[in-house]
Amino acid sequence: MTFLPIWLRNTRSIVGLSLLLIVCGAALLAPLIAPHDPNEQDLLNTLLPPVWAEGGDAVYPFGTDSLGRDILSRLLFGARVAMTVAITASFGAMLLGGILAHVAGYFGGWVDWLIGRVIDVWLSFPPVVLSLILMVGLGSGLQNVILAIILVDWTRFCRVLRAEVMIVRRRDYVAAARLLGFSHIRTIAREVLPATLPLLITLMSLEMGVAVVVEAILSFAGMSVGTNVPAWGQMISDARQDIYISPWSLLLPAFAVFITVFGFNLLGDGLRRSLDTRLTQTERA
Amino acid sequence: MFATILSLFLRRLLTAIPTLFVVSGLLFIVLRLLPVDPAAMSLPPNATLDEIAAMRTAMGLDKPLPVQFLIWLGQILSGDFGTSIQFRLPVWQLISDALPATIELAFLSMIVATITGLSAGLLAFHFRDRWGEAVLDVGSVVVLSLPEFLWALLLMLIFGVWLNALPFMLRLDPGIERPVITGFLLLDTLLAGRFDAFLSALRHMILPVLALGISAAPAIMRVLRSSLLDVYQEDYIHQARLRGLPERRVLLRHGLKNAILPTLSLMGVQFGFLFGGTLLVEVIFSYPGMGNLMIDAIRNVDMPVIQIVGLTYCVMVLLISTIVDALYLVLNPKLRVR
Repeated sequence: MTFLPIWLRNTRSIVGLSLLLIVCGAALLAPLIAPHDPNEQDLLNTLLPPVWAEGGDAVYPFGTDSLGRDILSRLLFGARVAMTVAITASFGAMLLGGILAHVAGYFGGWVDWLIGRVIDVWLSFPPVVLSLILMVGLGSGLQNVILAIILVDWTRFCRVLRAEVMIVRRRDYVAAARLLGFSHIRTIAREVLPATLPLLITLMSLEMGVAVVVEAILSFAGMSVGTNVPAWGQMISDARQDIYISPWSLLLPAFAVFITVFGFNLLGDGLRRSLDTRLTQTERA
Repeated sequence: MFATILSLFLRRLLTAIPTLFVVSGLLFIVLRLLPVDPAAMSLPPNATLDEIAAMRTAMGLDKPLPVQFLIWLGQILSGDFGTSIQFRLPVWQLISDALPATIELAFLSMIVATITGLSAGLLAFHFRDRWGEAVLDVGSVVVLSLPEFLWALLLMLIFGVWLNALPFMLRLDPGIERPVITGFLLLDTLLAGRFDAFLSALRHMILPVLALGISAAPAIMRVLRSSLLDVYQEDYIHQARLRGLPERRVLLRHGLKNAILPTLSLMGVQFGFLFGGTLLVEVIFSYPGMGNLMIDAIRNVDMPVIQIVGLTYCVMVLLISTIVDALYLVLNPKLRVR
């Protein structure tokens, strides 16, 4: 594996990344490879089992839901929502949490105190409850889901990174940079950030998995992208009523959520090992 | 000892007051963003515009927002939690019915999570650097990758629908009357000597408790294992071995006793998450607790209920972290002496 970059020389990272590439490919190619329109209803063929089960029809490889919509197509289009949320929301949370963490950890004093108290307030909410309440206030829609996840999950980055910044800032080379006349911003960007980057990347990978789960939870509760956009959580929620007749329509989207989150967790775990970040706490929703 | 714990509680209470003040302010602001008129919603649909205007004045909605917030806060502090718009019942009554159910669920789940997490952590440590550890390790990533509401649905599908072995709706079999003494169903059925009802309630809790317990266990396992690995670098472990103590005794008396402290403080955080996780699990099992109350209120834009339920979740999280810190104090001799 020596031809690979250091951060990939780990079975976990490779397996995780491969799973994610498959999901990403499905999301990108959804309009090309989906056999049906995800919202097209075929009321004569509702609750069909998948093609490998008895009574399945090759026209609908994964079967249909209670409105006769093609499950495979909905899964493929659902991957778009999941991946969009995973990437943008975790990037936003990383940006907000990362900046605040570097400011708090580097400057200390009252800024650190203030940010610390804000984190305390945030942590007194169970994340699910906070994101649901935010969605009530913001209303449904893809941008609002992303915004809600950013507003809830920035603390995950901020808490862990702040402690790391406080350690790095005491190192001699940071003091040397200041003595050379670097401004604070340049010191943070050029001297502190490279040292906290491995932790940042690892947290980012784990956060993407969390974002997929939160989106699934919100759309399960009917508070996410709205009914005309297919999302995995919503498919799971719809399938609950027909759990006796058609367990596949519940199991398939649940498996899609699992595979995606598993991919992100494996990648995060692999990165944590190969980048040797001391992340002892397991972060999750 | 008692004095230290008391002072911890007092200190926590002092910091909880500003936290809860900010939290209630946040809840108030977020829910005021809604394009909904609470006055119109609390009246029958055929109310005239004059009646709505009168109601707005009566509810204080014509006053500036900060004043409205202070009025609301004053009402909460005087014990008036408002009236639910959809049920037309006082909110405190809804909460006092739902909160004990959720506490029972979270508490039992935490016990399951603790037992599974600690045993898996001990096993993973015991198998360190062997294939057993790798199996447990990958297993924990698998478990972590399935959120608790999917565990709930899976368990429901397997044990409820396919095997038909366990009930997965509500809290009691139909036809069983529930005795009400404390509000905690398991406790009440025992106090009333109704063992049939107790067993029925317990059977109804198995699936939700498993769903929550399983998904909280891996974090506990990982922290226990890594803190055991840290502890085993310490001199007192070598010293205990040199004294010829059997390995089991070294692990339990010297290793575990010291490694349990970091695990405990993680479990406090985990318990808070678990409390939030009850929300969807309750919805899935139609379990009449805070989660169902919350989702119901959200679907019907029942603002007084959303606000108070949100606040109650925060109070519970703060309470849990205080209790865990008190336990930490009891178990850690270093913190006891001033």
